[in-house]
Amino acid sequence: MAVAPRSATGPAAFKRRGRFRPGDTVLYVITLAAALSGLVLLVLIARELLTAAWPAMDRFGLDFLTTKAWDPNKKLFGAASFIFGTAVTSIGALLLATPISIAIALFLTELAPRGVRGAVGVLVDMLAAIPSVVLGLWGILVLGPFIVNTLAPALHGTLGFLPIFSTKPSVGSNVFAAILILTIMIVPIISSICRELFLGVPQELKDGALALGATRWEVARGVTFPYARAGIAAALILGLGRAVGEAIAVSQVIGNNVAIHWSLFDAGDTLASRIAGQYIGADTKLQINSLVYLAVILLVFSLVVNVLAQIIVRRVAGRHSAA
Amino acid sequence: MRGQKQGKRKSRLAAAAGLLVAIAAIATVSVTGASADSARSSSGEISGAGATFPAPLIAVWQQRYEAAKSVKVNYNAIGSGGGIAAITQKTVDFGASDAPLTPDQFSACGGCVQLPWVLSATSVMYNMPLKNNLHMTGPVLADIYLGKIKKWNDARIKQINPGVSIPDQDITVVYRSDGSGTSYNFTSYLNTVSAKWKSQVGHGTTVNWPTGVGARGSSGVAGVVSRTTGAIGYADIAYALRNHLKFFSMKNRAGQYRRPGLVGIRAASLADRKFSPTNELSIVNPPGGKKFRKAYPICTYSYVLLRTQSQKASLLKPFVTWALTTGQQYGPPLVFQPIPPYVVARGKATLKKVHS
Repeated sequence: MAVAPRSATGPAAFKRRGRFRPGDTVLYVITLAAALSGLVLLVLIARELLTAAWPAMDRFGLDFLTTKAWDPNKKLFGAASFIFGTAVTSIGALLLATPISIAIALFLTELAPRGVRGAVGVLVDMLAAIPSVVLGLWGILVLGPFIVNTLAPALHGTLGFLPIFSTKPSVGSNVFAAILILTIMIVPIISSICRELFLGVPQELKDGALALGATRWEVARGVTFPYARAGIAAALILGLGRAVGEAIAVSQVIGNNVAIHWSLFDAGDTLASRIAGQYIGADTKLQINSLVYLAVILLVFSLVVNVLAQIIVRRVAGRHSAA
Repeated sequence: MRGQKQGKRKSRLAAAAGLLVAIAAIATVSVTGASADSARSSSGEISGAGATFPAPLIAVWQQRYEAAKSVKVNYNAIGSGGGIAAITQKTVDFGASDAPLTPDQFSACGGCVQLPWVLSATSVMYNMPLKNNLHMTGPVLADIYLGKIKKWNDARIKQINPGVSIPDQDITVVYRSDGSGTSYNFTSYLNTVSAKWKSQVGHGTTVNWPTGVGARGSSGVAGVVSRTTGAIGYADIAYALRNHLKFFSMKNRAGQYRRPGLVGIRAASLADRKFSPTNELSIVNPPGGKKFRKAYPICTYSYVLLRTQSQKASLLKPFVTWALTTGQQYGPPLVFQPIPPYVVARGKATLKKVHS
């Protein structure tokens, strides 16, 4: 049977066979439409956001990024405290989630007895299935009081000289609670990707290292991690992206305060949380425009994070294959 | 072999065609379903959205009104700002807001009217392990919300609560993080008692809170207050009562400490009988004097928003009229004071402007 050359794509690939095949054309059109729809959607969303944000962009310009105030009465809006809050919560969550996730993945792929692997793996993955609003409620009812009564006094007592633990919270709504909630959200994402990555490390390499007398840890450090480096970086950035965009659970626990505090035990707010919290009740057009401006910043943030992930993956993968 | 392949392709094509037909069918069904929905709603159904403050009373009205007139009233308690947006965008038949529309909002709405239909109070809740019912004054409350008073055993709090031993405890200020008519009522009150508040913060459904933590909805605020020793927050009185939260007796301008209740609300409602051209009434912080001895200082009317030109006018007008009159009797158990006769009259007069 004649097979179209691999290089030929597009409708030409089908026509070359000399006969018109409606099924192939339909398939081509449908898949093309599906592929384009993602792009079209992104462009349309970006356009819609820019249109809706324009009055605020026009009025505040780039000063919006450095203005701390969010004052509907004075018609003054700025994103600085939300950008700060987004950065602190998502990076904080990433710092906590990274070692935990990698440890989980390592345990499940290398160290755990067979029977345990499946069960623990499923349980960790199930963390990802908890709806964020439920996690937020848990944050309000359990985590908040736990931070106020147990965690914060301990951290403030021992590490109170650090600016991040310099205050004692009187209320469960604070930045630290948001960081912990986000950590719980992104651990299953990062750990399940890492698990797949570690499983993909060729057994010969590990066996070789073990045969040379390497300990389990040395195998992990010398073989598994370098081999999976690109993938781990991508997994972390995926986790970061999730943390940056999470709105509901964060807005439930972070305290929704427009301020820049160094202490994690004070209230703050993030871009996504502010949008979720205020869009419906917004009074003035300018406030809505400003909220959409926040959304534009969030979109740019996410795009940058994603592009960064691509670049890192390519670069590390390239170095890896060259080595 | 070729025949086999062709056969396969044909069956695949058939499957694809089937799928398309199925999608088309689903689309048709959902479209006809939607039109059936709208057809049903035009015969005896009206929809509204807005403030959470009147929501408990509206919930009773929904049941009673449907039972009495077999007209279904839908209400979405999404907040005052949401109600204003919804009526402006014509996605609902009526909106509800605790904050009267600003001139900008009126012009954006294009042919909207508002009329007061519900009257109640905002309570200032607190969480302190004390048996006594604590007293509070406007200026002290404003300074607490400005972040100037940070401790419960501050001299100014002790001074208005003689004989109560108040422990050394940090105050946690709690406010509504979403746009809220209760915030509007509360900040309007602080405006009248503190020049500093008025110049630095002002009043509105969302303001730039100088200190504290935000929580979403009355339930969010009440939740943080009830879990946090030393917290102070605000919510409609019905909410505070239902959830057994402690609230302050507030000092009025006649020098009396009053708890939010029907008596206090009724007395306060006398403070403003002069409607603005847009039917606004402001009854926060009534003047001193014998007439207002019993007034609770943080009371508010809540408004219903209607379009003067509404397809549902024939259903809306009887419902709102019923709410202004018969409906008021269901208020007192929920701490909604029935609106005075002159407000009913004004409402009925305003309703005459609504037509289909």
